[in-house]
Amino acid sequence: MTLNTEFMLETFFIALKGIPVTLSLAAISLLLASPAAFFMAIARINRIKGLQKAVTVYVSFVRGTPMILQILVIYSLLPSLLNQLFMNLNLKINVFDVNPILYAYIVFTLNTAAALSEVFRSALQTVSIGQLEAAQSIGLSTYKAYTRIVIPQALVVALPNLGNVTVNLIKGTSLAFMMTVKDITALAKIEASYGYNYIEAYIVIFFIYIILCSGVQLAFRLLEKYLGGYRKPAAG
Amino acid sequence: MLELKNVHKSFGRNEVLKGVDISVEKGDVVVILGPSGSGKTTLLRSINFLEKADKGTIVFGDIEAKLENASKHDIRAIRKKSAFVFQNYNLFHNRTALQNVTEGLIVARKVPKAEAVEKARKALDKVGLSDRYDYYPSQLSGGQQQRVGIARAIAVNPDVILFDEPTSALDPELIGEVLNVMKELAKEGTTMIVVTHEMTFAQEVANKVIFMDGGVVVEEGPPGEIFTRPKEERTKQFLRRIINDFDYVI
Ligand SMILES: Nc1ncnc2c1ncn2[C@@H]1O[C@H](COP(=O)(O)OP(=O)(O)OP(=O)(O)O)[C@@H](O)[C@H]1O
Ligand SMILES: [Mg+2]
Repeated sequence: MTLNTEFMLETFFIALKGIPVTLSLAAISLLLASPAAFFMAIARINRIKGLQKAVTVYVSFVRGTPMILQILVIYSLLPSLLNQLFMNLNLKINVFDVNPILYAYIVFTLNTAAALSEVFRSALQTVSIGQLEAAQSIGLSTYKAYTRIVIPQALVVALPNLGNVTVNLIKGTSLAFMMTVKDITALAKIEASYGYNYIEAYIVIFFIYIILCSGVQLAFRLLEKYLGGYRKPAAG
Repeated sequence: MLELKNVHKSFGRNEVLKGVDISVEKGDVVVILGPSGSGKTTLLRSINFLEKADKGTIVFGDIEAKLENASKHDIRAIRKKSAFVFQNYNLFHNRTALQNVTEGLIVARKVPKAEAVEKARKALDKVGLSDRYDYYPSQLSGGQQQRVGIARAIAVNPDVILFDEPTSALDPELIGEVLNVMKELAKEGTTMIVVTHEMTFAQEVANKVIFMDGGVVVEEGPPGEIFTRPKEERTKQFLRRIINDFDYVI
């Protein structure tokens, strides 16, 4: 068997066009998930009654089910629920006009929020309660103490795990093709389907994902180095 | 100037403070002694509401408040009049020595930045750290960190500084530099409440010693009296044990 290298090169450039979709799927999910995850982490750390339990159930539910199943459920269930809703509200919106990328945002945001809530929780707990108290004792409000002292340090601690979550998310978005979203994977699959060149197409996007994910990991490492400078003892 | 009346505090079923009264005048250096678990830290933390007492009254200058339900406004006012020096320093790790000191000035007291930096430098100079302004806590020794902690406290110009065992996390050779700074402050008339096991400091610097045990004040008086003729049996036992410990160490 020989690989069709000409096809591979062509597919490479076509699949590259999926990068903005893949990255914006990841970025928007991260953006939507972060504040939610932060409040879930706070709810768990401060043992806020009711909320704490709800968060625990949510996290174990999301993390305990395969993402592919979540996609199938949301992608087949949500449209009919929405349809019902639109009809009840007498809205003349056709659910099939809803951009499928919205479903993708929902699935990935739900997953990322669960993962991030754990990351934030452990990171916040690494900052000693004493620093919070010290800030309060010199007159800072709890809000200021968090935003100026606790969160910046927790963020630095969280960065490696945040990088992992991001990389997992980018890899996970390759399932978006199931929702007919045209990301890297979807574009390559479409290209492959014309001449049945699946092996070549998969090899090509394999490398695209490796490059993308390595780049993200590198970015997170540099960011950690930059923001975490205060942690390393210097000589003299 | 500062008075606490009938302070009660329990953690679950563990009654830690059972009606403590203390009063502090301007310029006083009050040392609180007592065995481990007697409630010294809890008492000190109740003063600036790091711990919420179950019952009690605080009179601090012109503020009078119930400890159990003081208003946010009173809590902030009392925190502005006091400063806390912690056993574990609790410096802000993401801030340099100078920024640790300016933080409270700029953020809580709205002092203009240039003025805050000026004040912070003065405070750090006073504790002998004029060559360490831009060091992060991770780059400082324990003794230096605690001196930054003291600078952070004095910079806000509080009416009273609360010290909770400021030297007990330090290596023996670093204790002296911190105690010297505290002595200096006492000489300048700074009002201080100090929980410590440093008997020499208590004898030389304090003008009032309070001995606590089991959540109550057992005995209080000038150091000359407490150390040489304690009235209560519990005080005598405690002092004997502490002095013996000293002998062993030496
Ligand atoms: N946050 C807390 N939760 C539960 N129990 C606590 C808490 N803080 C203190 N205690 C208990 O209260 C009692 C008094 O503690 P406190 O720290 O005030 O004693 P201390 O006199 O400062 O002792 P030490 O000399 O060891 O510092 C102890 O029995 C301690 O276990
Ligand atoms: Mg204590």
